[in-house]
Amino acid sequence: MADEYSVVVQDLVKLFGDFAAVDSVSFQARTGEIFGFLGPNGAGKSTTIRMLCGLLHPTSGTASVVGIDVAKQPERVRQNIGYMSQKFSLYNDLTVEENIRFFGGMYQVSDSQIAERLRWAVRMAGLEGREHALTATLAVGWKQRLALGCAVLHKPKVLFLDEPTSGVDPISRRQFWELIHEMAATGVTVFVTTHYMDEAEYCNRLVLIYHGKIVASGSPTELKRTAMKGELLLIECAPLGPALEALEKSKVATDVAVFGNALHVVVPNAVEAVPLLRSELEQNAISVTRMEQIPASLEDVFVSLTAHEPAPAVPR
Amino acid sequence: MKLNRIRAIAWKEALQIRRDLRSIIIVVAMPIILMLAFGYGVSFDIKHLPVYVFDRENSQQSRDLVQRFRSSEYFRVNRSVDNYRDLIHGVDSGDCQLGIVIPTNFSQKLREGGPVSVQAIVDGTDGNSANVGMNYAEAVVLAYSQQVQLDWLRQKGQRTMDPPIVIAARTWFNEDLESLANIVPGVVAIVMAVVGTFLTSLTIAREWERGTMEQLIFTPVTPLELMIGKLSPYLVIGLADTALCAAMGVWWFGVPFRGSVAVLFVSSTLFLMVVLSLGYLLSVALQSQLAASQASMIATFLPAFLLSGFIFPIDQMPALIQLVTHIIPARYFMSIIRSVFLKGTPIALLWEDMLALLIFATALVLVATRAFKKRLR
Amino acid sequence: MWLRLREMLKKEFIQVFRDKRTRFLLFGPPIIQMVIFGYAATLDIQHVPVAIVDYENSQVSRDFISRFEGSRYFDVRVRTLDREVVRTLIDRGDVVMALQINAGFSELLRKGQTAPVQVIVDASNSNTALVSLGYVNQVASRFAQDYQTEMLNRTAPGLLPQMPQIVLDRQPWFNPDLRSQWFFVPGVMGNLVTLVIVILTAFAVVREREIGTLEQIMVTPIRQAEFILGKTIPFFLIGLLDASLITAVGTFWFHVPMRGSMLVLVCGTVLYLLCVLGIGLLISTLSENQQQAMVSAFFFLMPAIIFSGFASPISSMPVALQWLTLVDPLRYFIVILRGVFLKGVGFDVLLPQMESLALFAVLILTASVLRFRKSLD
Repeated sequence: MADEYSVVVQDLVKLFGDFAAVDSVSFQARTGEIFGFLGPNGAGKSTTIRMLCGLLHPTSGTASVVGIDVAKQPERVRQNIGYMSQKFSLYNDLTVEENIRFFGGMYQVSDSQIAERLRWAVRMAGLEGREHALTATLAVGWKQRLALGCAVLHKPKVLFLDEPTSGVDPISRRQFWELIHEMAATGVTVFVTTHYMDEAEYCNRLVLIYHGKIVASGSPTELKRTAMKGELLLIECAPLGPALEALEKSKVATDVAVFGNALHVVVPNAVEAVPLLRSELEQNAISVTRMEQIPASLEDVFVSLTAHEPAPAVPR
Repeated sequence: MKLNRIRAIAWKEALQIRRDLRSIIIVVAMPIILMLAFGYGVSFDIKHLPVYVFDRENSQQSRDLVQRFRSSEYFRVNRSVDNYRDLIHGVDSGDCQLGIVIPTNFSQKLREGGPVSVQAIVDGTDGNSANVGMNYAEAVVLAYSQQVQLDWLRQKGQRTMDPPIVIAARTWFNEDLESLANIVPGVVAIVMAVVGTFLTSLTIAREWERGTMEQLIFTPVTPLELMIGKLSPYLVIGLADTALCAAMGVWWFGVPFRGSVAVLFVSSTLFLMVVLSLGYLLSVALQSQLAASQASMIATFLPAFLLSGFIFPIDQMPALIQLVTHIIPARYFMSIIRSVFLKGTPIALLWEDMLALLIFATALVLVATRAFKKRLR
Repeated sequence: MWLRLREMLKKEFIQVFRDKRTRFLLFGPPIIQMVIFGYAATLDIQHVPVAIVDYENSQVSRDFISRFEGSRYFDVRVRTLDREVVRTLIDRGDVVMALQINAGFSELLRKGQTAPVQVIVDASNSNTALVSLGYVNQVASRFAQDYQTEMLNRTAPGLLPQMPQIVLDRQPWFNPDLRSQWFFVPGVMGNLVTLVIVILTAFAVVREREIGTLEQIMVTPIRQAEFILGKTIPFFLIGLLDASLITAVGTFWFHVPMRGSMLVLVCGTVLYLLCVLGIGLLISTLSENQQQAMVSAFFFLMPAIIFSGFASPISSMPVALQWLTLVDPLRYFIVILRGVFLKGVGFDVLLPQMESLALFAVLILTASVLRFRKSLD
């Protein structure tokens, strides 16, 4: 039982004064899976991950990582996990090799093993030949991979990544996720928080968090299929502003959002809705160039779920 | 130069200062603390020097002499010892700074005639206090000696004489000869130097570190406008601090203020310009808060403390160092501010120092602006 | 454990020595301050500029004045009979003192009456005024003594050998020439060690908090104690290095004697370093960013340095303040430094200071370690 789930969280709560940053959250992450924690800024993702790493004390509830209670034995937990913080947190005035050796020492990688781990990390990050470069001189994508390498020198069973791709270009992001997948394939549980919805597609399972509460959970496919309250239409029309207003007043459309230069509209039944909406828009002197059903993306799911979610009673 | 751009920058800077609690603490608390610390902590009024007395004779006359030491406000006779070892231990441990030893044959030698020595053992570690203490001790002894002599002369039938010479001293500007009157005006200068450079070096260097300075660079504002805009709120704050310190000096410490407020105002403005420009220059050059604040300490506080004549008189320094003090702006301001408080000197006599400050201020503004332009490239 | 500690130490040293600015910070300010303090910091008063107003111009008055001319303490700049000139000279600061002898001087002396000498002294620098007046009194007293002897020699030479006279035998210990340098240099050493170590230690931790690496480290298995050791040991070693450097400059360049034992010096330095390391750590636990750290450090360091007795004697401070200085570790360290360098005393005399420092070290380090938790809340 303990082997199947690496991270088990039950009714976890974190209060800052009256404000509930994490409001009774429960989930489980299986060993070897990539578990995503998705939500906008301020939803409670970083707070949760910090509790799991023993950096914050939970107000109530339980959480265990590889079977170790986080509140009771935080030090033991830390010996078995790797953590990559939002800011990458490498020492800019140290070289690549010096950073690796430092964190290796922090994680008690013995002298006999460090040489091999050093080589591995350098190769993984693609920094061969640049071991003696000052970290400050590296571009963000390299720093990111270096930070990842530094977090796993001790081969932990669970890896916590807090917004690992903030500020990184798309190509580097893709390469980074390939590395994550390689690690998961070796049996490491990867726990990731992100606010990039497209990255969520890379995860095995997801939890959507909003205002400290979980609003949905499941695999990306499940979420897109079941969490969406209705079917999705793509409408390209002009002018966009008035179209948005008209559709918001419509009884057919349950939800409208702007996506790029088009509108995504949620309707109970796409086939029935198309002609009704078309006439509504034409009545408002809006010309429609395209209207068709599209499959929902996670972003659509999230927008749909959170539009109906009330804001918390206590203001931030 | 566009005034409204300057005003916009100054306004933003003022808002940021107001919201930054730490800056407010620096601006208000630091001057007060420095005034109190220096005002009370630094004193050269050598009084109540701890004294041990070793009266080896313990006769009427030796006790008379000891009594003169006891009744002097310059000394505080803590202990009478009866052996050398205790005396030595007292000096070694710092329990006493002066040890008076009256020899065993004191009154006998006085009866016989001829000089008799009273030993004054002084802890010379603090050379100044030792010097002053020994001078006081000698004055006590000489006064007693003169008294003994005059009595003896009368006894021997010589005509009565009064003590020949008396010094009628009039102290100008500082009637009570308190070092407070000397120190407190000087602290105003120190406070301005510290707060001025400290504040600018921290806040402006912080902008460089955070990168928000670069945002401003891409606007049409010129480096000179930027500098004036950023520094003007600090100038206002600095003048307010000057007023605060001057008020404290007069009403809390009771130091006289005999000059004109206008002179104080003008000279403070000039000095602040110097100090603020220096802080700005250091921020531009170093761009790190740690380095800028350290450098500003070294560049303003130390010279203001050591080389401006604040505590150590310039005319007593080696010739080379006296030359060096000419490039320390604080020196001129120190002289002006002491004149304003204590002497009430008219501005006509202060023009040389004012001019020096003006030259420094202009030069620093130019150098800082040029450094800023160079940094942009 | 040793592995983690070793890696932390390596990192700290790399960071401190790789940055040009911190490298300079370690050695630049200490050397600069030593040199400036060593040369500029002097309270010795000599060559005081004086103006003479002699309305009598007799043999006796000229004799009296010549004693001032011949003294190294005075520098007779001007002779005038115009009091307005004197006033201007003092206002401008060209002379510090004016001596006036009125007509009838020698007449009064001949009749055995007191002849006054008027002295006007610019007391805006009270210490200079005080010491100068002391010298004037000395010259006058000796002149009076000589005059009396002379008179007696003429009227009743037979009595002369029987005339009693008390003289002061000056015995300055530890610093026979009463050199200011010997007083200040040990004090400066204490200051510099304090400044450098507190600031470096505080910033070392705060900077990690600011850039985010502190969080990263806290998630590793490192123990709290190891982290603290890792942060303090490098600065402890640097502190020892700085102390040695300053001692070397003091003894070899300024010829400040080193009369005590190195063991005592090292012991005192080690204890004091523990105190300041603790203070640096404590400040870092109270600050979220570098600016706060700098301000907190300043608020602590300024009073600590002023009240330590390094420039002006503690006995001159108000009594309440003297009690306050008992909680200033630097005060004890300076006593130890002066004791070892100048007095040559050992543990027997300095034990109370060592004990106090040890107590402080324990208290401060415990407090900072307790405050230092391996979590964000």
